[in-house]
Amino acid sequence: MNGLEHELRALAPLVEWPETPDVASAVAARVEASPPRRRPLRGLGLAFAVVLLTLAVALAVPPARTAIFDWFGIGSARIVRVDELPPLQLNASVEALGEPTSLADARRRAGFPVASPPRDEPAPDEIRLVDGRRVSYLWHDGDRIRLLVTQVPGLLQRGEILRKLIPPPVRIEQFTIDGDGAVFLTGGPHAVYLLGPNGSFEQDQGWLAGATLLVDRGGSTLRIEGNLDRKRAVELARSMK
Amino acid sequence: MGSRPLDEASHVARAKRGDAAAYEELVRMHQAIAFRVALVAAGDRGDAEEAVQDAFVKAYRALGRFREGAPFRPWLLRIVANEARNKRRSAGRRAELAVRVAAAASGDAAPSPEAAALSHARREDLLAALGALEGRDREVLVHRFLLDLGEEETAAALGVRRGTVKSRTSRALERMRAVLEEEMR
Repeated sequence: MNGLEHELRALAPLVEWPETPDVASAVAARVEASPPRRRPLRGLGLAFAVVLLTLAVALAVPPARTAIFDWFGIGSARIVRVDELPPLQLNASVEALGEPTSLADARRRAGFPVASPPRDEPAPDEIRLVDGRRVSYLWHDGDRIRLLVTQVPGLLQRGEILRKLIPPPVRIEQFTIDGDGAVFLTGGPHAVYLLGPNGSFEQDQGWLAGATLLVDRGGSTLRIEGNLDRKRAVELARSMK
Repeated sequence: MGSRPLDEASHVARAKRGDAAAYEELVRMHQAIAFRVALVAAGDRGDAEEAVQDAFVKAYRALGRFREGAPFRPWLLRIVANEARNKRRSAGRRAELAVRVAAAASGDAAPSPEAAALSHARREDLLAALGALEGRDREVLVHRFLLDLGEEETAAALGVRRGTVKSRTSRALERMRAVLEEEMR
């Protein structure tokens, strides 16, 4: 150990920390009524979480949301690692992405700034709109979707893109793209909760099991899904203005 | 801070089965270090106390996910620090170091000979130099040396990897040396 480390360690016992409050009794009183969830019950626990989230959608009360994330134990963090996902019902039909429309119509009815499709991809095979609140660009490859780009209103505070339940195999990379917060997820499907414009939660689902890039653009949140590596996904995001 | 009892693992196992008294005992074992970590992260005593209490409750509810046999303290400190940082963010405060050193050694533990040898002026210099560092440099040194946390515990509290703690510590020490040298001129 060098001299400075030695001095810092010598300083440690001299630091006057404020007296530690005794929280043990208060904690014991709070936990007494709610035993910890155990591993064998985790599936049920998560099902319960989903029920709570559904309840939050119904109530749409901010304190209820806080309680739910407290329940998950993550405070205001936006990505939630979980042991396992609730059963994912991958959307079976593109109908779930809304009605087909044109870009001009989607822009007019979206209610938030809609970026153009990526410049270096061919024009989307379809543009779909849900309730004037979600715009999707789809590229098909036979009967499957090769690439899906979705935009939703970015009404969350900056840094709080989406609430996502991430099971262990999914890798998370956080970075920025030209100053916009971004998250790249690879390795499997995940559950997504979007915060709607009235503060309610909206459950979403991974459309594809491929990689997902999320970008917080302030006025909107961009989601790019497909068989992409991070570099390509970022290129696509950058080319969408 | 006291030594960690050997039966921590059995307390954890009992708490996992829903034994609130065993958990209360675990809280008593760790509340001092939890409070200090929360204080550094939250920068406010009231928020730190609240964060510690909330974090212990959350940790209890998450015990089912705790891998038995793993060290409990890093797992706990991660939850505590997270909670405290969230409190700080929602209060819109910046992370500030608010520690003082005793003019003369005090407290219940007898000072080490090394501590006794540290002159009052030198203590102030060290604290001033710590205070002059960038937040990241300062926090890693505070956790590693003033809180006497191991690398794994520091990594958990700061939410970074262990390798990052190593590299940040060494960089922060270099910068602190430079600040001290500057002060000596």
